[in-house]
Amino acid sequence: MKKPNRNTIQWLLVISLSIAGIPMYPQDSAGVPDISLAYYAPHNNIPYVIINTRMKIGKKFSVVAGVPVTIYLNEAVTDNLMAKLTTDESGRAKAVIPAILKPVWDSSDGLKFLAVSGADRKFPETNAELTIKKARLEIDTASEEGMKSITAKLLEKNGNEWTPVKDAEMKIAVKRLLGDLSAGDEETYTSDSTGMAAAEFIRDSLPGDKNGNIIITAKTEDHDTYGNLAVEKIVPWGVAHVNENTFGKRTLWGTRDKTPLWLLGLASFIVIVVWSVIIFLVVQIRKIRAIGRKNNVAVQS
Amino acid sequence: MKDYTIINADKIAADLLPQKFGRNGKIWTAVLILFCIVGLFAYYRQLRKGLVVTAMRDYVSWGIYISNFVFFVAISLVGSLITAIFRLANVKWSTPLTRIAEIIAISAIVFASLIIIVDMGRPDRFMYLLLYARLQSPIMWDVIVIGTYFIISLLLLYLPLLPDLKILISAKQAAGKGFHKLYLFLGSFWKGLPEQYRISNRALHILSITIIPVAFCIHTVTSWLFATTYRPGWDSTNFGAYFVSGAFLVGAGAVVVAMYIFRKAYKLEEYITELHFDKMGKIVVMLAMLYLYFNINEYLVPAFKMKKPEEVHLTQLLAGEFAPVFWFAIIIGMIIPIIMLLFPAGRKPFPLFIAGIMVVTGAWFKRYLIVTPTLLHPFLPMHDAPETYRHYFPTWEEWAIAMGSLAGAMLIITVFARIFPVIPVQETITEKNEKAE
Repeated sequence: MKKPNRNTIQWLLVISLSIAGIPMYPQDSAGVPDISLAYYAPHNNIPYVIINTRMKIGKKFSVVAGVPVTIYLNEAVTDNLMAKLTTDESGRAKAVIPAILKPVWDSSDGLKFLAVSGADRKFPETNAELTIKKARLEIDTASEEGMKSITAKLLEKNGNEWTPVKDAEMKIAVKRLLGDLSAGDEETYTSDSTGMAAAEFIRDSLPGDKNGNIIITAKTEDHDTYGNLAVEKIVPWGVAHVNENTFGKRTLWGTRDKTPLWLLGLASFIVIVVWSVIIFLVVQIRKIRAIGRKNNVAVQS
Repeated sequence: MKDYTIINADKIAADLLPQKFGRNGKIWTAVLILFCIVGLFAYYRQLRKGLVVTAMRDYVSWGIYISNFVFFVAISLVGSLITAIFRLANVKWSTPLTRIAEIIAISAIVFASLIIIVDMGRPDRFMYLLLYARLQSPIMWDVIVIGTYFIISLLLLYLPLLPDLKILISAKQAAGKGFHKLYLFLGSFWKGLPEQYRISNRALHILSITIIPVAFCIHTVTSWLFATTYRPGWDSTNFGAYFVSGAFLVGAGAVVVAMYIFRKAYKLEEYITELHFDKMGKIVVMLAMLYLYFNINEYLVPAFKMKKPEEVHLTQLLAGEFAPVFWFAIIIGMIIPIIMLLFPAGRKPFPLFIAGIMVVTGAWFKRYLIVTPTLLHPFLPMHDAPETYRHYFPTWEEWAIAMGSLAGAMLIITVFARIFPVIPVQETITEKNEKAE
């Protein structure tokens, strides 16, 4: 067998090392890890935090699933541990404040959430924090002389008092199946010195439930200070939706014994007419046959 | 004059009576049988393993089988075109073509029915279709109308065959013993009596009137299988007329091809003349223009509006994955035949034969384009679907069954031509005599 020459071996070595070297520098192209926190307090009730783990590669973020994350309230100490979670396939996890931390929650006007991810092959150790101020939303409705209006009020906690928040942007909308429909002309509303924002309800004839009820909502979205707050109220301002039950009636989508009479009649008429012609023609062939047979007998006799 | 008639009749009968296959005929039949056997084997595999042997999945549930079905249904319209419409319009030159058209129609409708059963997977499902029929479903209308059309086509083939059966019975040496018994069974009662002719002619007239609306129904109802389903590419009020015009074209194309082959194989130059090709060429060019017009309506208008839900479908057809097949069907199946047949030289037998093949091939691919791309482009985006569900290319079993069905249809025509005259003998004699007088 011919021995490979020295040059060939050198080239093979270079190529092999180059190929082997590719995965040695994954961090260069792996990007920058990112943890984001978002605070939610729906209906002024038990708040929770949503954690998102992503990787920034170039100018794009891509979701990283299965990242273990530890959440603390105010301080990264064991006593203030809120939850230990692992993000799901969409890189998300949800942490609810446990009852054991209620004293910490009650004692302060503002809170800090800390997220720490453990060092991992696909996601290096990363910290993130979110500071929010406790606030609550109120919603009220009025209907006078055919004019309907919705008022939302944003209050923040200062010591033992709730004080109005001025110049806060919020949405006042009607909840629909695939999203929120703004209740008035504006997409968002800004609170005045009393913390109130008012919207005139202009969505007449919106389909509601069987009693005409619709859900109106006021919310802050990704607010830097207060996070995501939301409050809802059911009002009878929609059009009652009557669900017509066609079960057991003659319809095009019914069972075969529930064929609409017009279709049954029309189809039967066409089939009868055409098949009558076919039967008539078969009878004609039999007539031709009979004439031929009769002629045969006459010739033979 | 009488002597001339007798000699002429004998010669015509000798020319037109069925002949034993030569070497080419036997090879042709063997090839068709081979295709059918491969198709049957593929069908056996499908029966054993289920529809999983096909490439049809959740999204493309109608694949090559249904496009083949639509093709067969389309080609079957030719029976009513050549026989009924020309008979009612008293078009005499079409006489040598009527039987060819009728047998093409019958063989196509037989395999249209069979391919539907193949598409169902388990054949016993057809029984359930009848037992639990819902008249609200266009599929049920199709079953009714296909059955009716088959019976009417059979009658339209049989009635004009009766005088020829008498000739076949008397010319014993022309047929084998088995065939002779068949002729006796089918037509021993035909004596050519004036009363028999009177009844037969009246029946034929009624048949010709009846078959036209039924033929229009079969194609319109087949188009409704698609048009009553709200999907991109099918949501059209134009579909009935679009299908009927396409069916007329492919049927006429098939007749042209069959005319040429029978003329060559049986040396029928004296009966299927250049005049027949010229006239059929004019019909094909008119039908191709009509079908092109409907195609422009079907694609250009939606493409001009480019509604968002239809955008993917239209883009894929006109410039995407299906563009090569789409433009093949339009250019080869319509535009080139139109250009060729506009000139008298293009309507000569051989160029017309080539144009006929282009029309039929283009039409087969056109049916594929009507059925499959739409299913791959639903209004709601495909979500969490495996990669194989997003594309469709038929498996070898599907190809084998589809090709086997096409071979089967041609085998019926071939066997028919071996047993019966492909040109009506008695009618030809009568017409020649009328001309001579």
